[in-house]
Amino acid sequence: MVETVLFFIFGIAAIFGAISMVWARNPVYSALGLMLTMFSIAVFYVSNAGHFVAAVQVIVYAGAVMTLFLFVIMLIGVDKSESRKDDLRFQRPAAVGLLGLLIAGVLIAGSAAWTTGTRQPGADVNGTIENVGDMLFRRWLLPFEITALLLIVAAAGAIALAYFKPGDEEGDAA
Amino acid sequence: MVGNLDILAIAPEIALTAAVVVLLLVEVNFDPHPRVWGGIAGVGIVAATVLSVFQWVEWSGGSGELAFSGMITGDGFSAMAGMVVFPLAGLSLMSGWRLVTEMRRRGAEMVSLLLLAAAGAHLMAASANLIMLFIALEVFSISLYVLAGFTRSRADADEAALKYFLLGAFASAVFLYGVALLFAATGSLSIYGDPTIYEAGARGIIRADAGIAAFLDSTIILEPGLLLAGIALLIVGLGFKVTAAPFHVWSPDVYQGAPGGITGFLAASAKVAGFAALARVLTVALGANIADWAPAVAVIAAVSIVLGTLLALAQTDIKLMLAYSSVAHAGFILTSLVAGPAGVAGMWFYVATYAVSVVAAFGVAAIVSGHTMGRSPLSSYEGLARRSPFLAAVLGITMLSMAGIPLTTGFVGKLAVFTAAADAGYLWLVILALVASVAGLYFYLRVIVLMYFRPTSDDAITPRVDWSSGIALGIATLATVLIGVVPWWLLNLLNDALPF
Repeated sequence: MVETVLFFIFGIAAIFGAISMVWARNPVYSALGLMLTMFSIAVFYVSNAGHFVAAVQVIVYAGAVMTLFLFVIMLIGVDKSESRKDDLRFQRPAAVGLLGLLIAGVLIAGSAAWTTGTRQPGADVNGTIENVGDMLFRRWLLPFEITALLLIVAAAGAIALAYFKPGDEEGDAA
Repeated sequence: MVGNLDILAIAPEIALTAAVVVLLLVEVNFDPHPRVWGGIAGVGIVAATVLSVFQWVEWSGGSGELAFSGMITGDGFSAMAGMVVFPLAGLSLMSGWRLVTEMRRRGAEMVSLLLLAAAGAHLMAASANLIMLFIALEVFSISLYVLAGFTRSRADADEAALKYFLLGAFASAVFLYGVALLFAATGSLSIYGDPTIYEAGARGIIRADAGIAAFLDSTIILEPGLLLAGIALLIVGLGFKVTAAPFHVWSPDVYQGAPGGITGFLAASAKVAGFAALARVLTVALGANIADWAPAVAVIAAVSIVLGTLLALAQTDIKLMLAYSSVAHAGFILTSLVAGPAGVAGMWFYVATYAVSVVAAFGVAAIVSGHTMGRSPLSSYEGLARRSPFLAAVLGITMLSMAGIPLTTGFVGKLAVFTAAADAGYLWLVILALVASVAGLYFYLRVIVLMYFRPTSDDAITPRVDWSSGIALGIATLATVLIGVVPWWLLNLLNDALPF
């Protein structure tokens, strides 16, 4: 019962946050909307016994990443509000139509029963630090290590794109 | 097998990553001549290729094995992917070397990203777990997004990179949603299961995670909605990478906007990695459900072939023409996958030889219209045979191969994939593809006519071929002709390159 009530409260909050993130003209409001969504998702993790993941979600996403976003927004300037001029006129009605189609699809799919293969979670399924650490460094070791490659890509890519000075590219590009 | 950390399975990645780290450190500390970057990258690529050959010797044709708790496979399939991707990266680096040096110090990052993309591409082919596949896909794709936007002085390169990034991120999200639905439907993320974790079952000790393939083999799913939705989203996500229509809309802008020297790698590696991942997921993980996905793949193939050919007919820029023809080629390659495991050898032949051709074609375009430049109008190829007989010969042979003229690899590849599809009962698709191939002759041969039978205009510049691109283009052309004349050994070899 409590779980259902929580689900509806924070489900609506998550969707509201997502919509306001896309909708808000002021980028700070967008960032706050995203934060609301992140928090609401953390609540879902708690109700699914993923306490550690929920804590990480709050600290990393709602905390660190959002701070980073706000820094970037402040650097670029808050006063620049986004232009709503649309070059393709049919785009917005088409988006609304597709959204309606999606909602209808979700409602139809949600009302039917589908075969799932997930096993019932046993007593040992509990998102504690021990379990997460055990999974991460035993079974999921290789994907975890490969994310390090992703970080190298990100660092090298950011340097490559940001280090550019006009006139750097010789020859025919100048 | 408990705690199996089989290093050989990821040895090529280790070699490439080591080369990248050394390259970046040396560049920062000593600011050496670009030749040093080339040396380090060359050592990394050669080491990775040799290690892939070791993998091939160890695993080809055999039953294959799983490493790292069933995250990655060692089999002929993954070894073949390495033997294709790493030399391809080497060829691309050689043909794009002038671009690297023109980027001054940022060139080191360009080389690093190319090596990391190659590592990601091999990991995609070797992944035995959908999460692993997703991370490999991201390593590969994010490297390519940056490479596409490397020349910051041109607005269309920025536009290309941004389009590629946004649409690619969307496609990755679709892929990830497909993975989640497949997990919901089958209870597993692993294709082959995890050989290291066991639990007590009703009939003794069994694997805790038997894998998607085993689950689908042994289970009759009465209401397969989740499974079908998951399969559909996986096909969409990977179809984006291989530029299959209707998920191809990014490719013309990216191929035209990206710096010329790197476009060949963007086009070739995405095809190899995307099709390798698609082949393993479809024929192994979802092999039991071939009746569900084969018709969808056949329709996507048909749409790609028709749309790609028709749009390529109308182009006046060689890079746009190659982009739309790559959509058509994605359709031809998908044609082989409707045959399931029987089509994988044909897929390999087509995708590997097409990748070599496309590197050569974009390599010539880069020399003719500038390594950092995007646009390459067909008019600048008029009379190219008089200005540079070598470039005209390379592009001419490449065009003949892409058109599927006998005695080139393109003909053998088309023969292989059409035979596989016809054997699987998709005769309508084969007939459609044959008609489209004939229509495709027009735009491939038009380039040859322009180069050989049109006078060159007086103010046209004579393109200068530097030695590294010359060697790369020579190797690519020679491979296209030699393998086209005697393809049998390679076709036999590829029968050992099936996923286990």
